[in-house]
Amino acid sequence: MANLEAAQETRPSGDTAGSADVLIGVPAPTQGTLLHERVADIRDEFRSTHPSIRCVVAYPGIEGTGELSTLSEPAGELGSLRAVEYTLSHGAASTVPWLGLAPAYARLADLAIQMGAGACAILSPDLAAFDVHSITLLLEPLMDGRAELTMPLYAPSKFEGLLNSGILYPLSRALYGRRVRYPLGPDFGVTTSLLTRLGRRRARGTEVEDDQAAIWPATEAALSDSIVAQVHLDGRHGAQNEGLDLPTVLGLLVGSIFNDAERNPVVWQRVRGSQAGLTLGATVDRIDPGAKSAGALDVRSMLEAFNLGSRNLQQVWALVLPPVTLLEIKRLGRLTPEQFRIPDALWARIIYDFALAYRLRTLSRTHLLGALTPLYLGWVASYAQEIANLDAFAAEQRVEKLAKVYEDEKPYFVSRWRWPDRFNP
Amino acid sequence: MASSPMEKRRLKQAGSMSDPLWYKDAIIYELHVRAFADSNNDGIGDFPGLLTKLDYLQDLGVTCIWLLPFFPSPLRDDGYDIQDYIGVNPSYGTLDDFKAFLEAAHDRGLQVMIELVINHTSDQHPWFQAARLAPPGSSERDFYVWSDTDQKYSDARIIFTDTEKSNWTWDPVAKAYYWHRFFSHQPDLNYDHPRVIEEVIKVMRHWLDMGVDGLRIDAIPYLVEREGTTCENLPETHAVMKRIRAEIDAEYGSRLILAEANQWPTDVRPYFGDGDECHMAFHFPLMPRIYMALRQEDRLPITDIMAQTPDIPDNCQWGLFLRNHDELTLEMVTDDERDYMYLAYSADPRMRINIGIRRRLAPLVDNNRRRIELLNSLLFSFPGTPIIYYGDEIGMGDNIYLGDRNGVRTPMQWSGDRNAGFSRANPARLYSPVVMDPVWGYEAINVEAQQSDQSSLLNWMRNMIALRKLFRVFGRGSLKFLNPANRKILAYIREFEGEQVLCVANLSRFAQPVQLDLPGLECKIPVEMLGYVEFPPITSQPYPLTLGPYGFLWLELRPAPEKEVPAEPIDGTSLHVSGLADWEGLLDGENASRIEAEILPEYIQRQRWYGGKSRKIKDTKIIDWGTCAAEQFALALVEVSYSAGAPDTYLLPLATTSGGDMDNLRAHSSGAILTLLNLPSGLGVLHDGIFDDRCCKALLSMMEQSSEIPTRNGVIRGLRSSILESLEGPQPELLQARRGSAEQSNTSIFFSDRLIMKLFRRQQAGPNPDTEIGKYLTEFTTFAHTAPFGGAIEYRAHELTGAITPASDADRTQTFAMLQGLVSNEGDGWQWTLEELDRYYEACAHSVMPASAAFREQVAREHAGIYLDAAAVLGRRTGELHLALARPSSNEAFSPVVFTPEDFQSLGKDLVDHAAISFDLLKESLSQLPDDVVESAGLVLSRRRIIFDRLRQLGALDVRTLKTRVHGDYHLGQVLRVRSDFVILDFEGEPARTLAERRAKQSPLKDVAGMLRSFTYAAFAALMKYTSRRPEDYEQLEPWARLWDEAVGAEFLRAYRETVAGSDVVPEEPQAFQKMLDGYVLDKALYELTYELNNRPAWVGIPIKGILSLSE
Repeated sequence: MANLEAAQETRPSGDTAGSADVLIGVPAPTQGTLLHERVADIRDEFRSTHPSIRCVVAYPGIEGTGELSTLSEPAGELGSLRAVEYTLSHGAASTVPWLGLAPAYARLADLAIQMGAGACAILSPDLAAFDVHSITLLLEPLMDGRAELTMPLYAPSKFEGLLNSGILYPLSRALYGRRVRYPLGPDFGVTTSLLTRLGRRRARGTEVEDDQAAIWPATEAALSDSIVAQVHLDGRHGAQNEGLDLPTVLGLLVGSIFNDAERNPVVWQRVRGSQAGLTLGATVDRIDPGAKSAGALDVRSMLEAFNLGSRNLQQVWALVLPPVTLLEIKRLGRLTPEQFRIPDALWARIIYDFALAYRLRTLSRTHLLGALTPLYLGWVASYAQEIANLDAFAAEQRVEKLAKVYEDEKPYFVSRWRWPDRFNP
Repeated sequence: MASSPMEKRRLKQAGSMSDPLWYKDAIIYELHVRAFADSNNDGIGDFPGLLTKLDYLQDLGVTCIWLLPFFPSPLRDDGYDIQDYIGVNPSYGTLDDFKAFLEAAHDRGLQVMIELVINHTSDQHPWFQAARLAPPGSSERDFYVWSDTDQKYSDARIIFTDTEKSNWTWDPVAKAYYWHRFFSHQPDLNYDHPRVIEEVIKVMRHWLDMGVDGLRIDAIPYLVEREGTTCENLPETHAVMKRIRAEIDAEYGSRLILAEANQWPTDVRPYFGDGDECHMAFHFPLMPRIYMALRQEDRLPITDIMAQTPDIPDNCQWGLFLRNHDELTLEMVTDDERDYMYLAYSADPRMRINIGIRRRLAPLVDNNRRRIELLNSLLFSFPGTPIIYYGDEIGMGDNIYLGDRNGVRTPMQWSGDRNAGFSRANPARLYSPVVMDPVWGYEAINVEAQQSDQSSLLNWMRNMIALRKLFRVFGRGSLKFLNPANRKILAYIREFEGEQVLCVANLSRFAQPVQLDLPGLECKIPVEMLGYVEFPPITSQPYPLTLGPYGFLWLELRPAPEKEVPAEPIDGTSLHVSGLADWEGLLDGENASRIEAEILPEYIQRQRWYGGKSRKIKDTKIIDWGTCAAEQFALALVEVSYSAGAPDTYLLPLATTSGGDMDNLRAHSSGAILTLLNLPSGLGVLHDGIFDDRCCKALLSMMEQSSEIPTRNGVIRGLRSSILESLEGPQPELLQARRGSAEQSNTSIFFSDRLIMKLFRRQQAGPNPDTEIGKYLTEFTTFAHTAPFGGAIEYRAHELTGAITPASDADRTQTFAMLQGLVSNEGDGWQWTLEELDRYYEACAHSVMPASAAFREQVAREHAGIYLDAAAVLGRRTGELHLALARPSSNEAFSPVVFTPEDFQSLGKDLVDHAAISFDLLKESLSQLPDDVVESAGLVLSRRRIIFDRLRQLGALDVRTLKTRVHGDYHLGQVLRVRSDFVILDFEGEPARTLAERRAKQSPLKDVAGMLRSFTYAAFAALMKYTSRRPEDYEQLEPWARLWDEAVGAEFLRAYRETVAGSDVVPEEPQAFQKMLDGYVLDKALYELTYELNNRPAWVGIPIKGILSLSE
């Protein structure tokens, strides 16, 4: 077990009631019984592994039953783990995973400041990463000054998190130059000062309500030039977007990252290449049930959606994409499902062109992101077929290759952004 | 607890921007509510109409809207005749409409600036109506400036010369004259009356409380009047502005005051105060000069005015514009320039008004899209905040048939619809007719059409504005002009916090080539900013570019990407060491022998700083070394022996590196590597330490901390000056080291834009005179016109070894490095003088030389006026330098001594000896001289005896004067042109002389003579260059060259003598002064003769002419 010791000089003078060294924050309502069980489960382990650390778990109210007050320990006692409830203003709690977390981050940052905690671990409300090992991994680099933000490195199945692999990760990496595999979390460790910044984030001019925008810790770290480390986590989250249709998720998450790009061109246009940063913890080995089963993902419906889009959305795509890209898409439509592959460079340029159209408001942003959905499904079909016979490691290498192509194609994006003349190749 | 009203008052009201310097990054859009959009179809634009156009402005990318006066007014001066300061003209809407507009603008991230016209009111203002009825001497009456006579303040000029005959107008009601600097219906407020400023502040609060972000203060220079003055820019006016600013600073945050002062930059400068008057001021003289440069296809009008532009406080900013609601004012140009501008830009007299041209941007440049784009590229890339006049973003035209300046104030052209989409009113009701002619009419030029045209000027402007906003360097960075030979090219570098942008503009209508000298930027990759296109990397060679007609380039200078260099196999050529800091292993023992025998001879031979290139290196020896920065780096002294002659000693900072840093070094600076190293961990290299930024910082740190490091045979000490802290600025840890490229005998290291460290490679016994004098001037005198001394690194050997054989114990100290404050400048005096002379010859090429001497003087002043003023400044600075060096001092090296008769005898003898050498060489070289100088050379030889006699006469002088430390090698190349002044540099003395000779005390007239000869050299060097293109002009221009030389020399000498008058620096008695000076000038000319015979025979005519002239 890694050591998680608070430097003596960072502690507030005197162990006042309510003080803590670290804060574990749950930014959205969670299941009460689950939280009850988890806190009880890890209290003893926490006390034995971190006898000098005072830790507070802050949660925004509880759904269902469960009484946490019995789990609290005397304030200020070392090796303690206790829970406090915080309130969010009416309507501030997010109804969609990933989104609208700024008010919760702000509240958690306030709590951390009040308690004198310098580092915070923000955990997904499903509490999949609520274990001493994960918490230690997330917090340790913050407390020893090696990082100001720790982001998770999960070990999901190769078919999981494809939106992240195909757009969010490579785009975020190319724009801000930080290789953060899961730039949105949901679990991450953060210094209190950086968490305060996250809490202040408001997405002006976005199509979604300000408070419903996605907050990207990795982006914020890049903007504030904070040091980022990645830690291998064993937590396995369930489907985050359950109940939401793909166009909605695309619209919210891709729209959110496009929106950030619109707000920060001064930063990302100066970034070239990317930095790997520090990676901590042991790689999590997991048997991937889908690893060798070719065709585990049925791509036929995706290709149908792509082809339908090709037929119906030509005019919309023509407003966004240059002729050479349109021609490539047209050629793709003539391929058999087995032959269907979207080249990485083409895919990266498509995303860049959509980001530009988003900025220029070439058409309604909702319609624009809706028009991206069939293209994305085409990419998923192409990618899924390509990695069908690869193991998880090789699939991960494939994502890295795509991310590198995003970086290589970035000058195309910058040039189009700066001089968005439609008379281009 | 609730705060009291008083406490509330103390809280500053925040503006719509959190950054108090927001105006530095702003793009201001100037518009008139009346002319922008009419919502109620009464033919007059209004606030609700403007509100509907905010999306357009946001989309255009502007960040601040400047509203021309919208207050109740009789509108006899387009609203600048205000009747009520706190209301809204009903034609434009209501106060609530204004508030709604303000809120909507802020919602879109747009700031709003309004007019504060406080010099005058309308004669319909209630204050004036009350004043004319009130008895003389009453408070109401004193709101304005009254007089019984119209003869007061007669030195004040009339501004509106076309309409006003006097600044006074008789008021039959008041039975007195009232004062007005503008129209007679605009009486000036009286700022000597305390209530006036109180009322003005109330007005200001009214708008600032509402949330207005900025105030443009109209006609600032004229607020206060005083007899016997021009009534402009008076100290009392500045007091008023400071009061207004103090009120704003006390109560409001992030607000802006923009000064309208149509004055020369030096006169505008005081309106910034110490950052406590106006935040911004218009740069009026730049605007006409941009147009002049464009038409003349010559950058000088622009570079000249920028050279005359003083520095402003860090929190201040210039406001730049191409056109505005007034005429293109020509007040701030010379008569000749004004005539030229009228001829160039206003063929039709109707285009002229007052002292200016009433035209919009596009018509001024004949609707040429490339010219419009070029001018806007200058506007967006010059240091300042750009201001766009409404309609210029679509290239709107004007109507010169309308009165006053109304031709440039016509309705905005939104579409091809009725009334240009501005209003649905009956066209006859419009406040002004829309422009309707076939070229400029709204059907051809309008927003709607250009929005749908991807290639329109509107889209171009939008892209450029967006691009500019990406780079804060444009709003906040420094400016440095380059001086390429092709004057049709304007090139400059903007720099801010490590961001560098190179801007190059072709002012010509034809394609132009250019070669840019970019020292210090080697290996940078220029990236064209509009298209993000990488250009070839910059090398040590001039950077070639070709620009199309009126083309421009914005190039971001980015560091070269790190290349992956394959590691080389470790072979027998590398040295084995135990680690990167194993200096003993490297510099002692076997490795040292290999370094001395094999590596250093080869390495030193190829270094630029190596001075013995013509000599064969026999041997090298590391005679001493020590380490610094926790043994990361070493400083070594290497003795270089030759086959013949005395050895030299060189200073060598050393560093080792491996991994990525090594790869980078090998890729970009392989010349700095001495050898490969075989480390336990792999491959490494031993290299010149200055190629490691950390080593440069370590040297700086030695000075900062005055640290001392022992060496094998001595000690190295860092010395800091008393002003080092201020030179480094508030964050010394952020200083970025970079190596200079123009390396000669010394190596320069720059630390950001604040410091320069000179590493004296070739070491000599004794203190370096440059360091010695620099330190003396900074620490012990008040002479400020030199680069301030920041510190030094000195070395003192315990034992005398090697080639350095000091004459005395004091001479055992050597100088390794000197640190100085970096002086931003417009180039050295020599280069600047050649450019000025180029202009001078251009002007004189077809002028007739007047016969009368008095008239010649007048003509010289007319053609070379700026340079004559500069020569006087240089003379004054030279005198001040000599006075500083002549101060009594307890430091023996500097204490002045009186010339004795023996000194004079010795001087006469020395000069004769020097002359003999020159004459002998001339005689030997006669057969090899160019044909056109042989005859003159013969004449010089025939005067040998006369010259010797004249020099010998110096030995007989008996006059009181001093010997002091002097510059020693004083010429135009040793001074920097800084704004309208000079800074004197490089006190090393003549490099060919020994250190003892360079440190010897001499007559300051040696320096004076050096500069006079430098003027002559410049006059004829520029003439040779000029006539190389036009040989037929040589005969015509030679008398002009002499005239310039005489006039400039006389002005320099006059100012010099005035400055040193009353001191013993030079002989007081005129004859003795002249005799001594002539002797030194002759000596210098003979020295030049020797130099040219040895090095540049083609130039030998210049000193020969000089010697002949001096010996007549």
